[in-house]
Amino acid sequence: MDPAEVEFLAEKEMVKIIPNFSLDKIYLIGGDLGPFNPGLPVEVPVWLALNLKQRQKCRIVPPEWMDTDKLEEIREQERKLDTFTPIPSLYYMELTKLLLNHSADNIPKADEIRTLVKDIWDTRVAKLRLSADSFISQQEAHAQLDNLTLMEINTTRSFLLDSLNYMYKLRSNLQPGRSQDY
Amino acid sequence: MWWHRCSCVPLRPVYAEFELSLTAMGAKPSGRNVQGQRVCQRRPGSQGTKMEMPLWLAKGLYERKRRVLSMELPKVYREGWRTVFGADPTVVDLHKMGPYYYGLGSQLLHFDSPENPEIANTILQTFIGRFRRTMDSSQNAYNEDTSALVERLDCLERSLFKAGQSGLNSFQLWEKGRSSHLTASSLVINYRKRKITDLQA
Repeated sequence: MDPAEVEFLAEKEMVKIIPNFSLDKIYLIGGDLGPFNPGLPVEVPVWLALNLKQRQKCRIVPPEWMDTDKLEEIREQERKLDTFTPIPSLYYMELTKLLLNHSADNIPKADEIRTLVKDIWDTRVAKLRLSADSFISQQEAHAQLDNLTLMEINTTRSFLLDSLNYMYKLRSNLQPGRSQDY
Repeated sequence: MWWHRCSCVPLRPVYAEFELSLTAMGAKPSGRNVQGQRVCQRRPGSQGTKMEMPLWLAKGLYERKRRVLSMELPKVYREGWRTVFGADPTVVDLHKMGPYYYGLGSQLLHFDSPENPEIANTILQTFIGRFRRTMDSSQNAYNEDTSALVERLDCLERSLFKAGQSGLNSFQLWEKGRSSHLTASSLVINYRKRKITDLQA
């Protein structure tokens, strides 16, 4: 899977905006949106929010978790625990990148937020690598990792699956009377 | 048929000792394969001759019951090197020891040597021991010259390294926002097509 595809899936998440135009309720295949009244907050998917923002028709309200104190708390917790902490949004990385690139003016302390999210990401990816290494070295057959996001899984997917395939082939050599052709 | 099956296994010479005269079997010890290359030396195959031959040929000729040939293990898979791998697999230059350590090792198990379980175990443990190093180096080297990291890796590990790098590169490209950036194809740039406006000028 491409990171661009993961970003596409992330754009389905809902975010609050404050439009400066008015429009009646619109009926889309995915669901109903609106009605839009200037100055009144309304929930829309991220793809629509970004489009409206680029046409300067709205102001994006940052999600509740996109706040320096909350993110610092999450970062500290992430560093303390060995397992993955539940994070407020399954698409935190993509949403951070999209919202900070397109509407940094609507989000207070944008640079700090970017740094904090990057720290959280680095910690989680390091934990993922550690658990992949222990998975392989102990030759386990089954592992359970809670609270992982799609983007994190996506970065290690091809590497981990290939190495597990090779390990399986090498392990089946241990059984007498069989040798693999590959 | 053999050529197709072994297209991913290299023409790696394996030392085989003939236990039976091949002429007695009615087969010729030399010949040309599909591509017209000389496969083995033309020498009368008498009993006890040591000969080099490609792996696929040795596999085809090998038969447990009739004992046409027995195989001599390459030194990387023998006792001495096995203890080295057991001690610390990460220091070994696996590319120099045979770029297909894992693949060839798995194929050699076909020849029913008495040391097969130890060989298989060593190969597996070597892979597990070197896994961490490969993972770390592939996931952390972004936009650098990786030749120093890759040169000590076996071919199997190199393909893993490539997979890790491609995952890392595509993520970094996305983060910079360049994954949806249109760029001119390198072929077009290399053509250096002359535009009609440049010609008229």
